[in-house]
Amino acid sequence: MKLKTPLTLAALLISAALTPAVHASEEVLVLGVNDALTGGGAVYGLPQANAVQMAADEINAAGGIKAGSITYKLKVITSDDKANPTEATNSVRKLIDRDNVKYLVGFCCSGSTSAVASFIAKEDAVMLVGNAAERAITAQGIPNVFRTRPPADFTGAAAGTFVAQKGARNVAVIGALEVGFYTQYVDAFEKELNKVGGKIIAKEAFGLRDRDMTPQLTKIRGLKPDAILVVGYVEPAAFVYRQAVELGINVPRYGFTSGSEEQFLKVVTSGQMEGVWDLRPTELTIEALGAQAKAYDANYRKKFGQSPTPSSPYAYDQVYVLKNAIERAGSAKDAKKVAEAVRTLPIPKEAVMKYMANDGSAMFDQNGQAYTSNGAFQWQKGKWVFVAELPSDNKAYSQFLRSIRK
Amino acid sequence: MNELLQQILNGLAIGSVYTLVALGLTVVFGILGIAHFAHGSLAMFGGYLTFVFSTSMGLSFFASIALAMPVGAVMGMLIERLAYRPVRDAPHINAFIIALGLTMMLEGGNLLLFGADQVIIQTPYQQVFDFGGIFVAQLRMVVIVTAVTLVAVVTLLLLKTKTGKSVRAVAQNRHAAVLMGVNVNFVSSVVFAISSALGVAAGALIGALLALAPGVGESFAVKGFAVLILGGLGSLPGAILGGLVLGVSESLAAGFLSSAYKDVISFLIMILVLLVMPQGLMGKK
Amino acid sequence: MRRLISNPLVFSVMVVAGALAMPHAFKSPYYIHLMTLALIWIVLAQGQNLTQGFVGYVSIAQAGFMGIGAYISTLLTMKYGVSVWATLVIAPLLTGVMAIVAGYPSLRVKGHYFSIVTLAYNMVIFIVLMTFSALTGGEAGIPDVPRPSELTLFGYVFSFEGRSNLNYYALALTAAVLATTCCAFILHSRVGRVMLAIRQNEDLAEAMGVITSRYKLFAFVMSSILAGLAGTLYAHYIGFLNPEPFGVDQSLNIILAVILGGSGTLTGPIVGAVSVIFLPELLRFADSFRLMTYGLILVVATIFLPKGLVPLVATLWRRLRTSQPVAGDNKPTSKA
Repeated sequence: MKLKTPLTLAALLISAALTPAVHASEEVLVLGVNDALTGGGAVYGLPQANAVQMAADEINAAGGIKAGSITYKLKVITSDDKANPTEATNSVRKLIDRDNVKYLVGFCCSGSTSAVASFIAKEDAVMLVGNAAERAITAQGIPNVFRTRPPADFTGAAAGTFVAQKGARNVAVIGALEVGFYTQYVDAFEKELNKVGGKIIAKEAFGLRDRDMTPQLTKIRGLKPDAILVVGYVEPAAFVYRQAVELGINVPRYGFTSGSEEQFLKVVTSGQMEGVWDLRPTELTIEALGAQAKAYDANYRKKFGQSPTPSSPYAYDQVYVLKNAIERAGSAKDAKKVAEAVRTLPIPKEAVMKYMANDGSAMFDQNGQAYTSNGAFQWQKGKWVFVAELPSDNKAYSQFLRSIRK
Repeated sequence: MNELLQQILNGLAIGSVYTLVALGLTVVFGILGIAHFAHGSLAMFGGYLTFVFSTSMGLSFFASIALAMPVGAVMGMLIERLAYRPVRDAPHINAFIIALGLTMMLEGGNLLLFGADQVIIQTPYQQVFDFGGIFVAQLRMVVIVTAVTLVAVVTLLLLKTKTGKSVRAVAQNRHAAVLMGVNVNFVSSVVFAISSALGVAAGALIGALLALAPGVGESFAVKGFAVLILGGLGSLPGAILGGLVLGVSESLAAGFLSSAYKDVISFLIMILVLLVMPQGLMGKK
Repeated sequence: MRRLISNPLVFSVMVVAGALAMPHAFKSPYYIHLMTLALIWIVLAQGQNLTQGFVGYVSIAQAGFMGIGAYISTLLTMKYGVSVWATLVIAPLLTGVMAIVAGYPSLRVKGHYFSIVTLAYNMVIFIVLMTFSALTGGEAGIPDVPRPSELTLFGYVFSFEGRSNLNYYALALTAAVLATTCCAFILHSRVGRVMLAIRQNEDLAEAMGVITSRYKLFAFVMSSILAGLAGTLYAHYIGFLNPEPFGVDQSLNIILAVILGGSGTLTGPIVGAVSVIFLPELLRFADSFRLMTYGLILVVATIFLPKGLVPLVATLWRRLRTSQPVAGDNKPTSKA
């Protein structure tokens, strides 16, 4: 019939117009890594930057982030803040204003991170903090700041309980005590030790650049402690362990330093390290974590030719937090919506670190703080061995952190 | 008593390193009048070089140092020729600013070549001796002996050789020395060669006893100047005495006063000496 | 037209007008942020110039005094509720007092000794700021340093809150203009002439009966007051304060700025300060080379351009205008 063709055509055209676009559009999502890539903080910052790159590559290879109808492929821009507060503000300003970054990750070092946290609330951005351990960063209730690494005193309290259980009653502390979060660790530790009638008999200090701690150790030796607690960065701390042996100190050595076997063996022999404890967040410990951690370790080695540092997964997990939050929020365009999604996000299955769930099985608590479990590690025959979990209460700590908000 | 002796012994090892650094500084300052602040960073370079020689070429600790020292000497001579000689007749402050610039260049170069992680030179001297409660690490003794030997060698060089005589002549009166036929350019090169070779050795000892890392060179340069001021600028025995005094007093201050303010104490000593006794313990007025 | 520009007062007014207009042309908060920092650094550099350029004594403590000013102001405003407008005056003055205490003994020594003592001062200041955490917060720092409160002038309300704030930029500009004007007055006064004479030949000046110590102390104290002002502006701008920016490296940066721009001139520190702030940002791609480049610039500048960039440009400008060579410039005997 002559009338059928135009009708059919019309029907075809109308149905074509009504069918929604089947293919999703693809966009580039820029991820800004702000970290110490040079200078003293680079030992923490560079591995974090590497971890972010690795996560981004994995996500892109698996098809990208699917938010609504848009698939995002990640592009990583790194910016060096040299662990310096002024540089950090310049660096983040550049990322936000010149590179149009909304999602900031990395943040290994406390001083520079605090400087950024002081203005980030007014920015259209989400900031995920990694290794920086200064408590104040998540104690201020900034709605777009989140941290994957637990504050130092959360671990300190657990460590104090553990060491008290081991029977120590006169502990000598030697540490980087000019650094706020190390002092917070020691204070929390001391509180727990005091509960069983123990006390800290000395608090000696060393700086980031110091390598000769024999004066402090000689003094400590004279006070006859029944245990030593070493808190500080791995590079000087390794010297403390070595020099303690060289001075004939043979009481148990407990520490809060983090640091891979490679980093220690540069300075101190395995024999001298034998029996040293590290009481810290479980971080990257293959046997304590699981398949995810094994894969992370293997992939990192393959990609970068060296083993990943124990704290590098804090940054790796940040990227997966963002991925899952953006997918939940349905879009990456509104940083505020993504921040809200992060707030209620359950722990991502791709996460390498072992996190403790908060209220409503959320990864982050009301302060934007995530809590990894704490573990007691001991150096046994050349390797850090996971011995036990430290008794930790994240719900109680979360309340405490909320209570100190000004 | 045990503790006191232990602290003093600890301090002697670090003090002998200070002496070595100060010696390199004092020959340049006393003879050429240049405050060669870059000496610390050059020492670091020497230390890193020693590390490279010992790891990649499998040389022993002392063989590596022996190989690195001439390299350091050449670098020192280059620095003198290219950076300091052009401002020889300019006001002294210019040379100091050049020294600051060289420090930045050397620190930057070290960072590029050797990275930011700390570097420790492995040595076979890992034993510890127990003398009735006082523990002495073998490595510390090696450091002291090495420093003493190098100081003796340099002193002999300056006192007994003909070159040494020319050097001392320039130190006393440059114009008169020129009139007597001394080649000042040659002397300048020799002085920098000696200074840099000593610096390399100091860097290697620091790398073995402590660690090489960004910023360490600068702090040793400052301590070196503190020793110079303590002992008297341009005085060899002053540098020796000053280095040991600084090392031991730092150790005692950290052990008996406060470890947190350890470095402040050494700087305060330096400031005090400068203000009260600017010629130092052994300098001439 | 040329004659108008060469009149220094007209030239200065044009520069200031240009600086005021700049943020409206380059709207990016990133540039405004950097320019604000550059203006604060101009205050620092003008101060450094007083001792380094005018009197000829290279102080390596300028960053330390900046830190003292920053912490005094922060503690006064946060612990004792003093207004920022008040501390902008009080903190620099108190810094000056501390400089008298430090400067009086150390100016008795000359040349290298003086520089090394100031280096030691800076290190002491830095260590104390880091270690005395009960007062200073140590390395963890003091967050939430307040901005100056609102100003109501001529019926308009000027607020200083918020990132890359244009009013804070104007405040920094005012401070930079003040610092430069202050140094201009000193330079053209009798005091300034004596200072320059000391730089030329201190022994001769003393032989002529000048009590050089007074003039040296004056320069030292004035320079630290400016450093204290810069520190105050810095702390209340960044909003977070820790000792990191006040170490010896920063003092060396300031010395570089003055040399690069031209010590002993008034525009030199301005050029130097702006360069030192913008250069690292421009060189971001070559970050690992930054230290080496800086050092190289310092060495080359001291050997070939001991007077700095500004006098070089001025010489070229003069040559262009009169097409006659100008004698007596860039001789190796001139001080850096």
